Amino acid sequence: MSRNNSKRNKVRQVLLLLILIILVIIFVFPFLWMISTSLKRGPDVYSTVPSLIPRDHKTGDIYVTLENYEYVLTRKNLARAFLNSVIVVVIVVPLKLLFDSLAAYSFARINFPGKQTIFMILLSSMMVPGIALLIPRVIVTQKLGMMDSLSGLIFPMAISIMDIFLLRQFFLSLPPELEEAAMMDGAGRFRIFLQIILPLSKPVLAVVTITSFIWHWNDLTWPLVVLTNPKLYTLPLSLAFLQGGLTGRSYYIMAGATISVLPIIIVFLIFQKRIIQGFTFTGLKG
Amino acid sequence: MIHNANQHSRLVQKHKTMNFRKRDSIFGLLFVLPVIIYFIIFLLYPMGTAFYYSFTDWNMRSEPNWVGLQNYHQLFFDRLHYPYFWQSLKVTCQYVLISIPLSLTMALVLALMVDALRRGQDFFKMAFYLPVITADVAVATIWRWLYDPIYGLLNMFLGIFGLPAQNWLWNADMVIPSLAIISAWQCGGSMIIFLAGLKSIPSELYEVSSIDGASSWQRFRFITLPMLRPTTFYLLVTGTIGAFQVFGLVYTLFGAGGGTIGGPDQAGLTYVLYLYQQAMRYYQVGGANAMSMILLVIIFIVTYLQFRFVPQNYV
Repeated sequence: MSRNNSKRNKVRQVLLLLILIILVIIFVFPFLWMISTSLKRGPDVYSTVPSLIPRDHKTGDIYVTLENYEYVLTRKNLARAFLNSVIVVVIVVPLKLLFDSLAAYSFARINFPGKQTIFMILLSSMMVPGIALLIPRVIVTQKLGMMDSLSGLIFPMAISIMDIFLLRQFFLSLPPELEEAAMMDGAGRFRIFLQIILPLSKPVLAVVTITSFIWHWNDLTWPLVVLTNPKLYTLPLSLAFLQGGLTGRSYYIMAGATISVLPIIIVFLIFQKRIIQGFTFTGLKG
Repeated sequence: MIHNANQHSRLVQKHKTMNFRKRDSIFGLLFVLPVIIYFIIFLLYPMGTAFYYSFTDWNMRSEPNWVGLQNYHQLFFDRLHYPYFWQSLKVTCQYVLISIPLSLTMALVLALMVDALRRGQDFFKMAFYLPVITADVAVATIWRWLYDPIYGLLNMFLGIFGLPAQNWLWNADMVIPSLAIISAWQCGGSMIIFLAGLKSIPSELYEVSSIDGASSWQRFRFITLPMLRPTTFYLLVTGTIGAFQVFGLVYTLFGAGGGTIGGPDQAGLTYVLYLYQQAMRYYQVGGANAMSMILLVIIFIVTYLQFRFVPQNYV
């Protein structure tokens, strides 16, 4: 009886695996197509026989070309957009991490007057749809003199209430005895934060880092309204305008899109284990 | 009056504690100060101004004048000033109604399958998450290519099976389903959350039902689905709120680069896309703010209805 069962289970597992692999191929295929197109020469892109591997449509030879990347990086200034995106992300993400986790720690562990009220008010702002804030935020940014500058991309985005919420829930789950022991030894709050809380919070910090990175790297809406100087465009913005002017030359666009996606994939692969751990941990129980 | 050493040290202790509490409070407030400042500047004040400007006729050039409910009235009734207001609402509602069930169903199906695997779950989690982490711009580019009527892969694929080619993005009726398909392609995030929910279902429930002779379908219907209700509810509410605000993808497909906006017959003109157009191209800031306020109310109402009528738990 049990031997039959385990055989049946094995067959089921294999079948399941097969179906999932097919589905993954379907889901991931658009990517592969994007990368493949970016490596093709123009005339070979619209061949009658579509092929994932770049082939010369006259000779049938397989090749790979980087000319689209070169064009898009130099002639269309995607390299500068890439740099702008890097600058913004490298500044914003650590800023966010610092301010958000400090505040989250305070909400989780320190007692100060008005703590609950302030926290509730902050939380309620999460329920407001982003678009309602877009135009007024532009006005504020204008008044602060940050329009059409990279700092206009950084400071108005330097805090995320959702991340504070997430971090606070995590900090609440840490054993308070550690902090109490440290306090009895005379450690100040800031030291406790740096030397005890942060090292223990690696999974949730990884989640916040990667989600912030993805958000800011891919953000189109805010840079779209803040920037008018093409020299300051971030990558998604440049890519969007690239598309407007190059309908039909999809191989250039694909090269741009691949450039845009690659850093995320790399960062994601690096943090992958920690992220999935962080997701399931902080899922819906905390 | 302090009479002895004991009382003295207790008093010192109390004084120290009070001092500590005060100092601690100061630290606490200090740590949240940046967030509070940010909140006031970039959240509270914008909310207030948005509300105020929705009652003015500001067009970025001259001073704003108070016009009371004129913007709202024009949005709802004046087809000359805002010809596509109702169209954009209709498009957005259709999008929400199609993309959310599609996306959540796909996410659940994938989650169930991945959960049933004994090995390799991490690989599949990552693979299905890839479409989620791609920029809207890249997604639009790729899919515009896939949907191309002549050279696009989808039509070529259909051709293999002898099915007729579809005019995915350029036929008014196909626009929203095509958008919904893209949204379902990006269901990886929901899938991962469903997976977390599935894992939290106690296995004893399944074991007991096996003893009672329940079939797989019965187990799914009477254990899995009800136990997943909190997860499903969370995904439904957050997904709906997000779907009402869809912008990046639609902008790149139908809005960038000037010219007519919104696709064939404005079948792709979502609410936020129209809002953006009003604010950034026509400088109707007052009207745009009014649109924002209206959206806020709609989202609140829909969310409230969901809280009221959708089962949140398994009891």
